[in-house]
Amino acid sequence: MALIDLRDVTKSYRRDQIEIPVLDGVTITVDGGDFLGLMGPSGSGKSTLLNLLAGIDRPTRGSIRIGEVEISRLSERALAGWRARHIGFIFQLYNLIPVLTAFENVELPLLLTSLSKKQRRDHVMTALGIVGLGDREKHYPRQLSGGQEQRVAIARAIVTDPTLLLADEPTGDLDAKSAGEVLTLLQRLNQEFKKTIVMVTHDPHAAERAARLLHLEKGTLVEQVKVGA
Amino acid sequence: MKFIGLILKSARRSKRRTLLTVISVAIAVFLFAALRAVLDGFNAGAEGSSSTRIVTQRSTSLIFSMPTSHAEQIRNTPGVQDLTWASWFGGIYKDPRNFFAQFAIEPESYLRIYPEILLTPDERKAFLDDRTGCIVGDGLAKVYGFKIGDKITLKVGIPTYGRQDFDFNVRGIYRSGGGSVDNQSMWFHWKYADERSVVKGQAGWYVMQIANPDHAAQVSAAIDQKFANSPYETKTETERAFQSSFVSMFGNLNLLLGSIGIAVVITTLFVAGNTMAMSVRERTTEIAVMRTLGFPSSTIFLLIAGEGLMMAILGGVVGAGLARAIVNPEFLNAGTFIPAVGVNGANMITGLGLSVLIGLLAGLIPATMASRLKIVDALRRAA
Ligand SMILES: Nc1ncnc2c1ncn2[C@@H]1O[C@H](COP(=O)(O)OP(=O)(O)OP(=O)(O)O)[C@@H](O)[C@H]1O
Ligand SMILES: [Mg+2]
Repeated sequence: MALIDLRDVTKSYRRDQIEIPVLDGVTITVDGGDFLGLMGPSGSGKSTLLNLLAGIDRPTRGSIRIGEVEISRLSERALAGWRARHIGFIFQLYNLIPVLTAFENVELPLLLTSLSKKQRRDHVMTALGIVGLGDREKHYPRQLSGGQEQRVAIARAIVTDPTLLLADEPTGDLDAKSAGEVLTLLQRLNQEFKKTIVMVTHDPHAAERAARLLHLEKGTLVEQVKVGA
Repeated sequence: MKFIGLILKSARRSKRRTLLTVISVAIAVFLFAALRAVLDGFNAGAEGSSSTRIVTQRSTSLIFSMPTSHAEQIRNTPGVQDLTWASWFGGIYKDPRNFFAQFAIEPESYLRIYPEILLTPDERKAFLDDRTGCIVGDGLAKVYGFKIGDKITLKVGIPTYGRQDFDFNVRGIYRSGGGSVDNQSMWFHWKYADERSVVKGQAGWYVMQIANPDHAAQVSAAIDQKFANSPYETKTETERAFQSSFVSMFGNLNLLLGSIGIAVVITTLFVAGNTMAMSVRERTTEIAVMRTLGFPSSTIFLLIAGEGLMMAILGGVVGAGLARAIVNPEFLNAGTFIPAVGVNGANMITGLGLSVLIGLLAGLIPATMASRLKIVDALRRAA
């Protein structure tokens, strides 16, 4: 059974009585352990699709099953709990909390668990170690480079050991070198730690790292290109 | 709790704003606690009052007087044991800002009916023997440095007492032995004032000792009955009621101070609420990120509300503490009409309660705003 089963998903926004279709009958399946790249022109609905997978937005029609759960049927509260357990989200602009240190940022999702302080510390240091920033735990976001910030954000995304990692243009704001590091990290997470990743990107270099590529055009999937893993 | 640290760090985000909120709440609580203390000071007089004393005044108001010829008629009313009278003098000591109460009293009977005016036998005798003698409260003496043997000159404040200045000899410094007598007043011989009065033989009010406190109402009614339909209709009431009417002579203080307090609190509520709403608006993306991480909206609500509550309580502690330190008789040491005003524990607790209320109310709208946020819209706005 596929890990993600997106069936005939439609999403439209209403603006002044006019329905603006964003996604139009999208069907995707993703197996566990896959690294899926999602490409397409601006406005094609990539972020919208990712947000639906993350359970922070709801489809207008269609079903989204992830693991055993049909998430479009969950209540707001249940959905929040589900996100905490199953989703690690990586944003283009890192979105670290500026008043919290790297450690505290990574610890944030663990505050929702019943882990003890000591256990939280172990988890955070492991995650920071994986992204290669074990020595930066006391740094605030403004004391870090863009690439380091994004790596802290990745540590925050993996610290709860989620089912699925979702990244929306994770290298969109980085220089080539930092982007390369972040992509290598995501690849490692996929290959060594068997994380399932869905990554939205504009960048062909980034897309190369994905095991599988999907193209979105005006809300529909137009081609599927298999890139050698 | 693990979220407390998060709240504290959030509050540190904009130090100036947090500080302003804390200060505004502190000021509100300070004013509130101080006003409560002042009101308590006034009410203490009424509460300490004797239940066997009743007071007759002109039905119109305290500032109109009655002939002393009423005395006999009142004395003959069944239930009345003893009688004295007094008048408000309203003189000016050097400068009108030096305000303290001065009363012209019928000395012997007054000291008899008010055993709470504590004097040594020598002082008492010296006062009774000197037609121009006066006694002053120890609180008042401390403020102006009055000593036994001093001369006090008062300018006339109310034209009925003529134009000439009054000279007094301080013959005693009294202490207060009960709530109905404050230690901030000056008492002197009624005869002295009467001699110079334009209209002779006038009393401001009569105080009667009655045999049975349970009969206060009947005795009062009987007295007022005697003067009904005369040009000098009277109003007789218990000392407690009289004390509060005395206060209301200076404007309805309770109401005035109460409305000032409420205005301050409401203003603070708006200031604090607006500041918090501003900081929530600035934090829109962060809140959306936390929601994405799986924070339920109820937790977001509690975090924001908790932040407001924490700032308000901090302000409350500071305000109540300052009120306690500043508004106390030792520190102020400038008592005038009000006997020993001081912020007590109850005033502080009321002030703290108020800060909790401000914190809860001010945080309500911002916290609701934050918890209702649509995640994708908030993230999109930031990108
Ligand atoms: N809340 C909304 N209200 C109205 N229209 C919206 C809303 N959210 C998204 N859209 C529209 O949906 C379309 C797809 O948006 P989306 O962000 O998914 O595109 P994208 O492929 O991620 O683009 P980009 O590469 O620029 O990030 C856009 O035309 C956008 O204007
Ligand atoms: Mg996008």
